[in-house]
Amino acid sequence: MDTLVAQYSRPLFENEGSSQEEQLELIQTLPPLSLKFALPPIAQPSAFLRATTDDHSNPDCPIKIAHGTTTLAFRFKGGIIVATDSRATAGNWIASQTVKKVIEINNCLLGTMAGGAAGTMCAGVTPQEGPALYYIDSDGTRLAGNLFCVGSGQTFAYGVLDAEYSYDLEDEAALELGRRSILAATHRDAYSGGFINLYHVKEDGWVKHGFSDTNPIFWKTKLDKGEFSNVTSELD
Amino acid sequence: MSRRYDSRTTIFSPEGRLYQVEYALEAISHAGTALGILAKDGIVLAAERKVTSKLLEQDTSAEKLNMICAVAGMTADANILINYARQAAQRYLLTFNEDIPCEQLVRRLCDLKQGYTQHGGLRPFGVSFIYAGYDPQRQFQLYQSNPSGNYGGWKATSVGANNASAQSLLKQDYKEDCDLKEACGMAVKVLSKTMDSTKLSSEKIEFATVGKTKDGKIYHHLWGAEEITALLKEHDLAKGEDAEMG
Amino acid sequence: MLEAREFPPIFLCPVCKAPQLITSKYASTFLFIYQPPKSCQEVLLGITGKDFTLIAASKAAMRGATILKASDDKTRQLNKHTLMAFSGEAGDTVQFAEYIQANAQLYSMRNEADLSPSAMANFVRRELASSLRSRKPYMVNLLLGGVDPITDKPSLHWLDYLAALAPVPYAAHGYAQYYCLSILDKHHQPDIDLERGLELLRLCTDELKRRLPIDFKGVLVKVVTKDGIREIDYDDSKQVQSA
Repeated sequence: MDTLVAQYSRPLFENEGSSQEEQLELIQTLPPLSLKFALPPIAQPSAFLRATTDDHSNPDCPIKIAHGTTTLAFRFKGGIIVATDSRATAGNWIASQTVKKVIEINNCLLGTMAGGAAGTMCAGVTPQEGPALYYIDSDGTRLAGNLFCVGSGQTFAYGVLDAEYSYDLEDEAALELGRRSILAATHRDAYSGGFINLYHVKEDGWVKHGFSDTNPIFWKTKLDKGEFSNVTSELD
Repeated sequence: MSRRYDSRTTIFSPEGRLYQVEYALEAISHAGTALGILAKDGIVLAAERKVTSKLLEQDTSAEKLNMICAVAGMTADANILINYARQAAQRYLLTFNEDIPCEQLVRRLCDLKQGYTQHGGLRPFGVSFIYAGYDPQRQFQLYQSNPSGNYGGWKATSVGANNASAQSLLKQDYKEDCDLKEACGMAVKVLSKTMDSTKLSSEKIEFATVGKTKDGKIYHHLWGAEEITALLKEHDLAKGEDAEMG
Repeated sequence: MLEAREFPPIFLCPVCKAPQLITSKYASTFLFIYQPPKSCQEVLLGITGKDFTLIAASKAAMRGATILKASDDKTRQLNKHTLMAFSGEAGDTVQFAEYIQANAQLYSMRNEADLSPSAMANFVRRELASSLRSRKPYMVNLLLGGVDPITDKPSLHWLDYLAALAPVPYAAHGYAQYYCLSILDKHHQPDIDLERGLELLRLCTDELKRRLPIDFKGVLVKVVTKDGIREIDYDDSKQVQSA
């Protein structure tokens, strides 16, 4: 009987996190904690941080935190679509065109990244909740919802997405709308670009739908469908 | 009798005339003939070139602006006006990013000319112009102006020596819907009749045309000697050259 | 002796947090460029089609935290077939628009012909550019919609308060740019008819109603065709559903 009880009264999440020994090891290898932080030589560190990193209050700030991005996620009858661009910028500098902004947390949960103080999104599916979508940001805001766009290109994505969004979208149409919304943002927002990273979260986990270069997609969209009529394709 | 009224441009005579302006007009009638003909697909300007000396470097009496114009009268005065017109045209282009409409350009010039008939101490410009131009609003247009500052639009007109006879010849020969080629023929025929010299050659006349290319572009063209010679031959008027060769 | 000059404080736009005053060093003197305050909340939209140009402007006249008027007309007719819509600093907008309007009418009287829309746009740009380099520049953003009286071709010109000019098939000013240009990028075609143009405008205004935090009191819609300019009845009463 005791063995039976012992079998079912193990700590609930035994395998999660580090074991006692592992934790001890981690602590011992770290340098001893000390209150002698190397502090910046100024009265208010928070003001200093703002002065050196906040683009809005000081356009000449020496440290440019990566702000630009476009990410979106929306719920529909077939699950959740998650799409992002792949550009990382530091000020006017394009630091990378191949950033993976979708974090594959596990086979049922995805997160999206946006730099600086911008929000992130969690899209996941659980047996209890079904497909669920949350907007989270650094202020501590947490919002559940059907449709979110985040980042410097959010408005452009919202524009395209809102115009044709419906909960009853078919899978293909929903994927295309997600792709097209990111394309819209990469076209108008200088801080978004690179590749379109597209995911579909279904009942039984997420499916990846490519990491595709925006440039050929843009020209195909323009030339085949006649969209982007303000862009000239002829050279003269 | 007119002594008391003709030394000043600004004073009317008892008969209501401005003698200085009339004298300026007179000065022009000693200049070589110039004429212009409006065709349905272009305009031709033709002018007699007075050869003063074989040694003198040949000058032209046609000027290019946004339009082209033929000059009759005092070349020095004309240069001032042409310069003014070019500036006005460029200023318009700068403000509106569009070529100045023909009539506006002509009017600007004429406003300047008029000013010299009214302000004291200045003599009027001793030049008449024939202007040929194109604008999208009124298509091909032909204008003439004189020292008084008057201007008018014409289908065919002439200035300079013998302009009265040239005018009546034009009136006789003008056809409403002639094309540019026919107009060129008419111009050279009229010129051959009004010029003093019996023989015509490329040194004695000048030709300029405004027209439209096949793809709709407007061109301004001052003719070269070979082209003029070819035209004269076509109309059997190249007597000069035959004589010289013979 | 240099004159001591008082530097105005830098204000941030309450909504977009953008500084309303940008100082830049220009040679040895300072050139002050004010961003039109609150103009980012004013909506100006323009859409061209095969034979028309649509102009829509928000009807709210805002001063501080107040909406003074909910039926404001932010457009002026310059001649038979050119319409100008404006947003920007209070006072400057109407003053500048009516100055341009008067000059356009003077031109028409003098020359018995109207300026073409593109000539008009270049004229306006020049006026704005010379004002920008004066002591007190006009702070106005503009859209110029027209139909060429000779070719009957519709046109739309976008001008901002820094006197930048661009001919475009569709355009917006203020926050409307951020929401509507992507919509028009996707749905606009050069050969659309007026009915389709109004559908596109509806997509745009619906999105603005859905996402803008401030009520702009709907839009006043005018259309320019070869026959002239007319106002279009535009239903603003509909509540927009959010996803």
